[in-house]
Amino acid sequence: MPQMGVSVAEGTVAEWRKQPGDRVEADEPICVISTDKIDTDVPAPASGVLVEILVPEGETVDVGTVLARIEVEGSEALGVGRWALEDGTDAKPNGGKRYSPVVARMAAQHDLDLEAIKGTGRQGRVTKKDVLAFLEHADEAPMHIESPYRPEPEPQSPTPKAQSPKPGALSRMRRSIGEHMKRSLETAATCTTWIEADMSRIEAGREQLGLTALPLVARCAIAALREHPQLNAWLEGEAYTVHDAVHLGIAVSLGDEGLIVPVIHDAQELSAEGLGRRIKDAAKRARSGELRPDEVRGGTFTITNPGQYGSIMATPVINQPQVAILDLEAVVKRPVVIDDAIAIRPMTIFGLSWDHRALDGVLAAQFLASLRRHVEAWDGG
Amino acid sequence: MPTMTYLQAISDGLREEMRDDERVFCMGEDIGVFGGAFKVTDGFIDEFGPDRVMDTPLAESGIVGTAVGAAVVGLRPVCEMQFSDFISCGFDQLVNVAGKMHYRQGLAVPITVRLPTGGGFSGGPFHSQNPEAWFMHSPGIKIVAPATPEDAKGLLISAIRDPNPVLFCEHKHLYRRIKGDVEAGAYATPMRARVARDGDDLVVITYGAMVHTALEATEELEGVRVLDLRSLVPLDEEAILDSVRACAKVVVVDEANELCAAGAQVAALIAERGFEDLDGPVVRVATPNVPIPFSPPLEQAVLPSVDRVKEACVELLAY
Repeated sequence: MPQMGVSVAEGTVAEWRKQPGDRVEADEPICVISTDKIDTDVPAPASGVLVEILVPEGETVDVGTVLARIEVEGSEALGVGRWALEDGTDAKPNGGKRYSPVVARMAAQHDLDLEAIKGTGRQGRVTKKDVLAFLEHADEAPMHIESPYRPEPEPQSPTPKAQSPKPGALSRMRRSIGEHMKRSLETAATCTTWIEADMSRIEAGREQLGLTALPLVARCAIAALREHPQLNAWLEGEAYTVHDAVHLGIAVSLGDEGLIVPVIHDAQELSAEGLGRRIKDAAKRARSGELRPDEVRGGTFTITNPGQYGSIMATPVINQPQVAILDLEAVVKRPVVIDDAIAIRPMTIFGLSWDHRALDGVLAAQFLASLRRHVEAWDGG
Repeated sequence: MPTMTYLQAISDGLREEMRDDERVFCMGEDIGVFGGAFKVTDGFIDEFGPDRVMDTPLAESGIVGTAVGAAVVGLRPVCEMQFSDFISCGFDQLVNVAGKMHYRQGLAVPITVRLPTGGGFSGGPFHSQNPEAWFMHSPGIKIVAPATPEDAKGLLISAIRDPNPVLFCEHKHLYRRIKGDVEAGAYATPMRARVARDGDDLVVITYGAMVHTALEATEELEGVRVLDLRSLVPLDEEAILDSVRACAKVVVVDEANELCAAGAQVAALIAERGFEDLDGPVVRVATPNVPIPFSPPLEQAVLPSVDRVKEACVELLAY
């Protein structure tokens, strides 16, 4: 059982991908280990034949326990393709993609977010044609309701199914989410407060930076949290802990499978661009099941953003033991009154669910007012 | 417009220039009475006489050296190497004397050396080579390599009129195989590249006989441009970089041995000046660094084939 994160002491074998007698290649996933909500592929440490499975599916064992034995063969030649860099080096240390010079240049020229472009080249590489097609598409007229919360690109490899659920039974992830949500509602005195905000400057800012609105709003929320640190806190029983650092949870939908909240640690140190990069990376890895258990722990405040489908308000459930959660919904052009004149502005409604045990409504309203002030005064973060 | 073979177009260009300019004369082995090993100068001796269509001994150094002397005193010699492979015997006269004459003494050396190049007909290691890169490396010598009858005539005329030593690489495998419309009368084709087929997804850059290999290889592929260099020195760098800008993916094909071939220079140019336009590695297809075998199947195995060029294009298009 590999050490999946510093705070993890045990793990459950969710699935064996290989059976005794199967050939395995070094770094090929041989089984799936599950800790909390995170499923992680365990790569084979060497090439050879899987001769013995020591821990069956469903069993939880301590870190360091031997899971299986691989009989290693004599050294064998590695297949080197025409472009060896592209072949079999998916597991790059930084998880980064490679872009060709022309693609990198076009992205810089047009301020493009390459992660948002679907690649049709070898192993999903983004080609010049993909960028051209994306640019052509980008010129199309905006829709009536324009959400800045662009969906993340589809994961390139299908998300590994944790366990095939029995007929009628909930998946392990759904059960886990259900337990968390129910416990939160039973524990917290949840109230929700809303405020309306003009997103004009955020919209302009995000276009300039080539980002979605999420990291910009997150940046504003962090600034508001610094002014109202009582919301950046945990309430555990009677222990109320206010945090200096903002460990920002971002809810990421996994489609049918459920939801997961990767945590951007020390988010207060990041610019909007930095946040954008980290959020994108976390979301991508969440969807491909590559998050480490440490990356979903320790959040002090959470943002959820289901607005891409056009919904305008929600009452999110607080992620325990945090005391508040911010909900971002669709940005919709609306007529608004500005200096006694009617103007068309991209408006949105921010919703804050907060725990009445920890604070009162006036603080929630002050936080939202502060958030709105930062959003409407956005000047590059 | 008359239709001619590549070989007839070369004869036609040479004849036009000899008729127009009495300073132009030919020298070579068996080019007079016999009409040349490949019959490029068939009938020339009857029209122009033995003073302007000179049979020489088997002595390439003597042929080139004599031509240099004649050029310096104002004539326009056109030398024929029976096979381009034999130019190695005239190397010193060409590289050290002709190529550097203008630099050392300020004298123009307007000679043209016709080099029947290339393989594909089981000629073996002494009769199939593509020696152009030897001379690209040597300053002071121009090199052209036409792929079509029209360009063969026009580039030969340009070569003869050029004040520098010019190597005219005429591919033997094109002599009677390739036909095309050729304008009547004298015309000079500029020493610049031409787009043989347009496209903007990938460009195959090549010259000489490989232009036809590239055209055939990419006939069924969509969006593939074929750039025919036509001239190696001067190399049309802007045309190459334009194609890289438009297509972003490049396959460079040489019939010559791969190491330090003309295509290597093209690839180096793209790496240096076209880097930011590339959407994939520059791929080369060339003859491996081996002598050209006599054996027909072995020769076909080493020369870039239609299949090899096509495979390289398909693979790079998918990159």
